[in-house]
Amino acid sequence: MREAPRHNLPAEPNSFVGRERDIGELCRLVGDARLVTLCGIGGIGKTRLALRVAAQCAPAYPEGVWLAELARISRPELVVREIARALGVREERGRPLLGTVAARLRDGRCLLVLDNCEHLIDECAEVAAALLASWDELAILATSREPLRIAGELVWRVPPLDLPEGAEARAESVRLFLDRAAAAGTRLDDGSLPDVVRLCRELDGLPLALELAAARTSLLSPGQIADRVHDRFSLLTTGERTAPARQRTLLAAVEWSYDLLSDREQVLLRRLSVFAGPFDLDLAEQVCGGPPIAGSELVDLLGALVDKSLVLCDESRSHYRLLATIRHYAAGLLREAGEHDALRERHLAVLCELQERYFATELVEPGVPWPRRLEALTRSRGLLDDQRAALDWAAESGDVDRALRLCSTSTGLLPVSGNPLEIVGWIERLLALDLSGVTPGRVAQADGFLAYGLEARDELGRSLEYALRSLEDLDEGFQRCVMHSLLVMVLLRMGRAGEAAHHAELGLALATAAGDTWNQAAGLAGLSAVALVRGRLREAQRHGDEALARACEHGHRWIMARAATQLGAVAEARGDLATAKARYELAVPWLDELGGGVDLARVLARIGRVAALLGEFATARERLAASLELSRRTGQRQGVARCLVGLSVLAEAEGDLESAVPAAAAAAALRASIGQRSGTARIEELLARARAKLGEGRTTALWARGGRMSPDDAARLVLEGVRPPEADPGPPTPPGAMPLAITPSAGGPLVGALPVGHSPLTAREREIAGLLTGGLSNRAIAEELVISPATVARHIANIMEKLGYTSRAQIAVWAAEQPSA
Amino acid sequence: MVDPGTGRTITERQLDERSAAAAVVLRRRGVRAGDTVLVCLPVGPDLLVAADAVIAAGGIAWPVSPDLEPGLLRDRIRASRARVLITDLVAVREAADESRVRVVLGVADLRDGPF
Repeated sequence: MREAPRHNLPAEPNSFVGRERDIGELCRLVGDARLVTLCGIGGIGKTRLALRVAAQCAPAYPEGVWLAELARISRPELVVREIARALGVREERGRPLLGTVAARLRDGRCLLVLDNCEHLIDECAEVAAALLASWDELAILATSREPLRIAGELVWRVPPLDLPEGAEARAESVRLFLDRAAAAGTRLDDGSLPDVVRLCRELDGLPLALELAAARTSLLSPGQIADRVHDRFSLLTTGERTAPARQRTLLAAVEWSYDLLSDREQVLLRRLSVFAGPFDLDLAEQVCGGPPIAGSELVDLLGALVDKSLVLCDESRSHYRLLATIRHYAAGLLREAGEHDALRERHLAVLCELQERYFATELVEPGVPWPRRLEALTRSRGLLDDQRAALDWAAESGDVDRALRLCSTSTGLLPVSGNPLEIVGWIERLLALDLSGVTPGRVAQADGFLAYGLEARDELGRSLEYALRSLEDLDEGFQRCVMHSLLVMVLLRMGRAGEAAHHAELGLALATAAGDTWNQAAGLAGLSAVALVRGRLREAQRHGDEALARACEHGHRWIMARAATQLGAVAEARGDLATAKARYELAVPWLDELGGGVDLARVLARIGRVAALLGEFATARERLAASLELSRRTGQRQGVARCLVGLSVLAEAEGDLESAVPAAAAAAALRASIGQRSGTARIEELLARARAKLGEGRTTALWARGGRMSPDDAARLVLEGVRPPEADPGPPTPPGAMPLAITPSAGGPLVGALPVGHSPLTAREREIAGLLTGGLSNRAIAEELVISPATVARHIANIMEKLGYTSRAQIAVWAAEQPSA
Repeated sequence: MVDPGTGRTITERQLDERSAAAAVVLRRRGVRAGDTVLVCLPVGPDLLVAADAVIAAGGIAWPVSPDLEPGLLRDRIRASRARVLITDLVAVREAADESRVRVVLGVADLRDGPF
């Protein structure tokens, strides 16, 4: 299994210049203030600074540093979703995502970076406040043009880079300009320094302006650029002449750079503003090609824009993106050019077509080798940001039919990706619009996806209703078969095995007629599940074997894993644990290829439980630990509870009831906390065995203790044999801690962290601390020591900083406790 | 000590205590020895505390009158090249918009720290 990375920060595209002191200070502030917002205009370098700070202080956050790029989204309800995506958290069944995210963050010290909050400022403020309130070891570093305006926020105003005092090359702005000019292949000699200095002042040290200017040094000298940019100020066209000076400076630089582009480069840059997220050349060609841009020249035009620093790209030039500031500017021009609607239309059409193609390749077409299916899946998921933008446009322009088409071909819909709820939100929104131009078949598809989402929310009755309604108008194709499979699942959960069997057979017959191996496998797996429920084990085995064969023929790892897991369950029901374990094991590498997640966690937990019963304790430990980690990381509390149950089984199999009982109790407590019931029969049996062996009192005590333990502690109990102390001693008292009387108010710093044995103070500081015990004022101390009161105040500030105190009284008490020298 | 303008009083002990606490806040907000810190407060005990705190934190207190007209205020703030500004006035905060001020602290922030 892959090692989980502790951050998702992107590699820096080029060297970071300057701001050394700011970075050091911000690292301390982020640790201190919990919410630091870097504020300033677009192009001043907020994002780069935030990423730099985040990377630098990453070691202080064992649970990781997670970046949510909010520039990609335009709807408030997606803020939490973006944060969840950054963390790798998946939606829990029937639970609000914000709660899941908050629970996931409570695992330890962690830093969240919310980049570009300004366009969703209210939602960001609300979410940030909720998360900070739910966990006090969370820190947030935000970037925004406006502060979030919530309690405890430290607003840090990002200044431009330092300007040169005289004609020196050490100023940050000069260093940045020279660095970027060199990257563009221009060597500037000392003779041009005065011009560079003049240009830096002209551009007020604004990093984006300096980068745009430096990208032009191959054609224009710094002096020429300075002259032209200067002229620009008087030519500002967009009516922003009243904007603050910095903003005007930046706009002038962007306009100047844009005006220097060739006509076709200008057209391309404008058109690129339709992309919400990163794009590749292929996508750019399809959406942005067309007169006056010939298909073949787009790659060169794109390269030219990269050279001019207007478009950013990764090292391999496989993905491109626009800086938010440039994108905003280009989008304005696209509107002015009257191309906006046509481009959005084209973007929507291309997205629709691409997603349909990827969907077909991944799932529907027969005989496609797995690597190609996987590639289609990966590409489809990579279009998420743009899919959202396209859906927005479709809804806005009233093109409901196309919007529904786009929804229904997102692989994110199927359980393969595990998260149908976002699309359900879209579909509900779209179905509320005017449906007169929409075919019944399309509406039926939409109903089908609603049924999916309702099942995921455990609303089985309504799910059934929508699924049946959807079948009335669905064509005989892939989606219809999928709907039968959904019905099998829903009906089985409702205890209606007979009807479930009927739908499994209908789906299987359709799929067989169409040569659709995916749905053959799904239908057979459904039949096997039905047979298993009815206790017909041999039939279940036969259908399961066939399901796996069809699934392997198709090649998609998800359906293969589904069939293998079904076979494992059948073997388990038969009591053949060795076979069960072997079948479950088959699914592990397959699900791992799909990126792990909820399904992998589930099958690992099953393996752990079966291995424990087989007496293979080392394997059981390892599988349960892996499952626990996956569930923890993806925020699945139900999965964590499942692992705790598995660990309880393991401990008992090892003869360790002292651990088995608390682990079961912790699982029950966790389930209760998310409003779920535990299987009482299993617990009763375990407790009965424990009472027989350990006695009533001991068993009750162990159960009570487990109920108070955190899931992590309970897991460690079994996994590592780590037993926390029996009695609850309250917060541990570190050695050398201060007497309680002077502990600073809640959240006070560092009191327990003092070095033991020797004083960190200088002789003079100790002397002043001693005088403070006598209650002397600064002036009195100053007179006593024949120094100035300001010096006394300075010493006292130093003492407080060293000892982590916030008042003179604390020093006095501390000094009184010290052995006299 | 009595402020002649407002008649508000502050004892020497209060001044020592408050400026010491404020000095800690300033340090934690990044003020280092030799840094200029702008203090733009009306005359009174708070101004006294803030100025003492800046000095205690090792900084250079640069007082600016809040009564200056906006353009002049803006120029003063820019010219100071200060990283930290102490003020409670919205107009002064805004005047600092195009400067190199990173952090603006209010009197309440100095009293008990912003958090």
